[in-house]
Amino acid sequence: MAKENGVPTAAEKGKGKMEDEKPSDDPQKQDDAKKDKDGKPIANGKPGEEPLEEELNEEDQNLKNELEMLVARLQESDTSLYIPALDAIKDFIKTSTSSMTAVPKPLKFLRPHYEDLTKTFEQWPEGKEKEHLADVLSVLGMTQGDEEKLDTLKYRLLAPSEDLGSWGHEYVRHLALEIGQDYQRRMTDDEDAQDLVELARTLVPYFLTHNAEADAVDILSELERIQEIPQYLDENTYPRVCLYMVSMVNLLTYPEDQQFLRTAHDIYKSYNKLPQAVVLAIRLNDTDLIHQDFDSTKDLALKKQMAILVARQQIWLEPSSGAETDEELVACLSNAKLPDYFKTLAKELNILEPKLPEEIYKSHLESTRTAGLTNIDSARHNLASAFVNAFTNAGFGKDKMMLVEGEKTSWVWKTKDDGMMSTAASLGVLLQWDSINGLDKVNPFLYAEDDQIKAGAFLAVGIMNSGIRDETDSSISLLGVEESLGAKSVQIRMASIMGLGLAYANTNKEDLLELLLPIVEDTSLDMQLSAMAALSLGLIFVGSSNDRVSEAIITTLLDEERQKQLKDKWTRFMSLGLALLFFGRQEEVEVILETLKAIDHPMAKPAAVLAEVCAWAGTGTVLKLQELLHLCNEHIEDGDDKKGDELIQTYAVLGLSLISMGEEVGQEMVLRQFGHLMHYGEANIRKAVPLAMGLISPSNPQMKVYDTLSRYTHDNDNDVAINAIFAMGLLGAGTNNARLAQLLRQLASYYHRDQNSLFMVRIAQGLLHMGKGTMSINPFHTDRQILSRVATAGLLTVLVAMIDAKSFILAESHYLLYFIVTAMHPRFLVTLDEDLKPLQVNVRVGQAVDVVGQAGRPKTITGWQTQSTPVLLAYGERAELEDEQYISLASNLEGLVILRKNPVWEEG
Amino acid sequence: MGNNTSGLGGAPPGGDGKDDKDKKKDKPKYEQPPPPTTRIGRRKRKAAGPNASTKLPVIYPTSRCKLKYLRMQRVHDHLLLEEEYVENQERIRKAKAQNTTTPASAGGDSDALDRNADERSRVDDMRGSPMGVGNLEEMIDDDHAIVSSATGPEYYVSIMSFVDKDLLEPGASILLHHKSVSVVGVLTDDADPLVSVMKLDKAPTESYADIGGLEQQIQEVREAVELPLLHPELYEEMGIKPPKGVILYGGPGTGKTLLAKAVANQTSATFLRIVGSELIQKYLGDGPRLVRQIFQVAAEHAPSIVFIDEIDAIGTKRYESTSGGEREVQRTMLELLNQLDGFDDRGDVKVILATNKIDTLDPALIRPGRIDRKILFENPDRMSPATPPSTNANNANPNAENTKKKIFTLHTSKMSLNDDVELDEFINQKDDLSGADIKAICSEAGLMALRERRMRVQMADFRSARERVMKTKTEGEPEGLYL
Repeated sequence: MAKENGVPTAAEKGKGKMEDEKPSDDPQKQDDAKKDKDGKPIANGKPGEEPLEEELNEEDQNLKNELEMLVARLQESDTSLYIPALDAIKDFIKTSTSSMTAVPKPLKFLRPHYEDLTKTFEQWPEGKEKEHLADVLSVLGMTQGDEEKLDTLKYRLLAPSEDLGSWGHEYVRHLALEIGQDYQRRMTDDEDAQDLVELARTLVPYFLTHNAEADAVDILSELERIQEIPQYLDENTYPRVCLYMVSMVNLLTYPEDQQFLRTAHDIYKSYNKLPQAVVLAIRLNDTDLIHQDFDSTKDLALKKQMAILVARQQIWLEPSSGAETDEELVACLSNAKLPDYFKTLAKELNILEPKLPEEIYKSHLESTRTAGLTNIDSARHNLASAFVNAFTNAGFGKDKMMLVEGEKTSWVWKTKDDGMMSTAASLGVLLQWDSINGLDKVNPFLYAEDDQIKAGAFLAVGIMNSGIRDETDSSISLLGVEESLGAKSVQIRMASIMGLGLAYANTNKEDLLELLLPIVEDTSLDMQLSAMAALSLGLIFVGSSNDRVSEAIITTLLDEERQKQLKDKWTRFMSLGLALLFFGRQEEVEVILETLKAIDHPMAKPAAVLAEVCAWAGTGTVLKLQELLHLCNEHIEDGDDKKGDELIQTYAVLGLSLISMGEEVGQEMVLRQFGHLMHYGEANIRKAVPLAMGLISPSNPQMKVYDTLSRYTHDNDNDVAINAIFAMGLLGAGTNNARLAQLLRQLASYYHRDQNSLFMVRIAQGLLHMGKGTMSINPFHTDRQILSRVATAGLLTVLVAMIDAKSFILAESHYLLYFIVTAMHPRFLVTLDEDLKPLQVNVRVGQAVDVVGQAGRPKTITGWQTQSTPVLLAYGERAELEDEQYISLASNLEGLVILRKNPVWEEG
Repeated sequence: MGNNTSGLGGAPPGGDGKDDKDKKKDKPKYEQPPPPTTRIGRRKRKAAGPNASTKLPVIYPTSRCKLKYLRMQRVHDHLLLEEEYVENQERIRKAKAQNTTTPASAGGDSDALDRNADERSRVDDMRGSPMGVGNLEEMIDDDHAIVSSATGPEYYVSIMSFVDKDLLEPGASILLHHKSVSVVGVLTDDADPLVSVMKLDKAPTESYADIGGLEQQIQEVREAVELPLLHPELYEEMGIKPPKGVILYGGPGTGKTLLAKAVANQTSATFLRIVGSELIQKYLGDGPRLVRQIFQVAAEHAPSIVFIDEIDAIGTKRYESTSGGEREVQRTMLELLNQLDGFDDRGDVKVILATNKIDTLDPALIRPGRIDRKILFENPDRMSPATPPSTNANNANPNAENTKKKIFTLHTSKMSLNDDVELDEFINQKDDLSGADIKAICSEAGLMALRERRMRVQMADFRSARERVMKTKTEGEPEGLYL
């Protein structure tokens, strides 16, 4: 309560506390307790109850007498004395000081007279005196416990004052609180609140100059006027305000969060922090805004940096019009140089040497009894090795099994049937992003005689082009033609469709509509093909709510001739395709939900659930979570035709983590919820829980999560165990986490007889060592701010396939696993100079610290180590430049960052 | 059903165990016992309260703002969701159980209660009585262990299925069946009973109002000890770490212990009090262990305040010593150093030390970071620290006398005084009186009056009482002998 501008009078300090300790201590305690609740000191206890005979030391007695005299003077009729008396009281209040633990003395002494003064106030005629008195009453009102009356505000409105700050910080905060409360009330009563707004506007500059940015933002958001904040900001205050606003976004409800983002975007833009602005524009998913940001600078390097940021989110912008289309800028926009940078990283880390699956399994470390028991050369085992090989050497373009000289020695021939397709497709993962060199290497397989291999090669082309944009459109010219898309073999067609979906995810390319829509609509086709086409369209138009696609899918679901096919296991991908269209669209999904309600089919409801969770993905909306939990409430007796209902619950569980993944509190809290679901749920729910746990923290091996998962891996229900194993793979994907590796090795020896589980363990091991520990599949990037739609969509697809692992991944459709490539991205930091050449600088890498709302200039990272770029960044790590020789153009050091020489840097 | 096979550790909410038992009874078919936890045999994390995986997330920022409010609200919402879900499930489960059992036993809740009591008594039967107390030496497998009893021999015994295996760990005290010596229970509380004695159950009667003067000191103690526990956000906003502890020092009888008592009286935090000499134990290693346990108990009951009186008993400066006892005392202090500001964060544990010989203390003990505030207690008639020397004498004098007067009035307030008593006389005298001396004068005067069977204390009593007290006071320290 110390008045910050009060002059401490030494004689007063610490005195007069003893005397009133007895009577006032208890109230003060409660007072303290109250403070906790509403953050405002409210003195309790009725004034009348205070023993009047308490001893006061002389000074306090004097003060009290003087104040009483002044109060008495106000109640007399001599108007000329009013002003001096009020000024004297004000003076007393303003200059009083005290410890943090007690109420300032003048306020305490004046409290008993508050009632009298309010009465006096009523009687006074309008005038200057009255205003002055209102001024004093407003401050005194703070000490009255009555929260309903909002006295402080009431009298403040009656006394237009210029200098509120002189009453102290505590008072201003209290006032801000009451303004917020009153505004809410007036809004519900439909009253005018202009005066409140005016008052609040005077408070905001005070907050901003006194290091209370949070309060400034809070009051404006209470008054629903956050867009007004830019005018109060300056060079020094805007970063903290923006940081605070951005971190609030996750917790706000729909229109408000957009408003916050937009306001913060405008602030950044006006202070010429374009990278930050672009990041927010990406979050808003507003292409026009991104274009505007692009056009608002002439700085080519800055443009390149922004292009890199946009390309990371896989938004494929057309290079803006005009003559300045730079070749390098286009390259940045299409991620074309990603493979080069990735290889730079690999070279720097000395991991170019390809790894064999055996080096991942480390079966010599598995306990000995398994040795010799496993059939080394079984096709299943070889298929697993192909996957592991693909994931481990992903993106390196070099391995020891597939890309070997001489066709006959290739690993493809060691697998059988469908395995050959997946094995051939693993080429795509090995050559990921490198479509220029990659095509040559895939070429021999494209003309293989075997349909399976051919299909695999087509899929490989698609995988290879995922995450980049190929200017030559090689994928469409290979996959979108008659001999692939219209081939006789179902597998080739499947592979082509899937490849198109992967290669053109989030491109919104209209050409593809013409290619794929007919497949969706053609009722004579197998459900498998139509569903896959729908899914691919969902990926290509993810989050666009494209009418034509959604209509086509809905009609298919309605179609009479399809009805009998809808029970097919592939139908779920049809609904997933529909759901992906509405990814992150929030309210807009309602239209589709209504339509789906009209469909009388067991598949309609799960589709609706899926669409809903996709629409709200990453928002953390609690209401949606509640709806999902209600869905999980029912227990479904197994047996009769309940397939659809089971899927509803399963999707709901996945949805829990999909929705809450956007925000940290929810992420942690939903883990608790999974414990309950596991405890009470039926088999269909239990099956989905491990997957959901994998989805909530991909590439982020948290101890508490994998501890739980590792317990589930021994579950009696084999489905649960398999899913838990896979989830462990997701959890550690690309981290090389040693603990997880050990757990998985133990599982490998535990399940050495169970082919299915063992296969899954191998896959998980492959995921764990993805890219030899250089990759991440976490859909959040750029300082965990942006949720990548494509990545989430890919992960979700894999998980939906995993729900019935035994009929997809563990049967012949293992290639569905490759949907994960959309989420794969190197977790590196490569610094570039303005010509996009890798540049070696020293950076500090450490654990990120949440600095929002902290006093001073806290360090943003902790426990750092100095390394020279390129470096790997683990989940939750952040980097900063060691010295100021270079200035980073990006808002945060992650991924590809362009550095510019600091003009004022002096070597020294 | 697989319901029990794997739950998130510790996740089943309270009251669930009861329902589990109900369920077991309702379903006659064999149900697999819950799988052994993987944690057996490993020392459990010493985290107090709920399991780490069920702990609520920490909310940042700590300063009061809407962001914090929103985040807290989010946690709250999620907890509500959880509650709703669990309640629904429990209801469904109950409804199901009622459907499956015959309507005859539709007694409802009372029935369940009966059954519970029944089961409990059966468990009690199985446990037998008396039970032996033993030590768990080693876990062999999920239901066998090697135990040793106080009498000597070690046994390989079975563990009863109703024993909570989570609590079993090597070295734990366990209950043994008197005949079969099988493990029938675990004694959980492994803290030394000595420590729990130190926990203050009954607050002392002294409050701040019973302290005369010492305003400055009270304020400092409250700022350093109480306020960080009540309002951590104030410190956060300022960007500083709250002080960890204070040391009260000053001459004898100046009210150090009294102030600590008042703190104990006022605070709602757990208050642990020890005297430094208690930490000196007979056996090697016992002292440091006791220190560890005190702080462990304090951390478990956080927020808490640890008060160590007469810290100079163990806290003297370290020096080369050949005496084993001396070294043990020093090791005890080293443990204290570690607990005060060691590797582990103590969190909401505040420490108050008290001594009257601060100059003999080891500098490491009172360095900032361990003890951030040193609060001096002085005799009341010296310049009160509240008045800096810069203020003029007129102002200062009444101040100091005020304190003295306050102490006098405090002690005499409950005495029946004669009208002629003028305490100002003593107050104005320039004696070197501590608070305890003043108390002695007052009670001495009271005794004088008693001796003469008077009902009121007279001024003369006070005068002679003062004489006596001053005399005995100077006797202790022969005046001018060395001067």
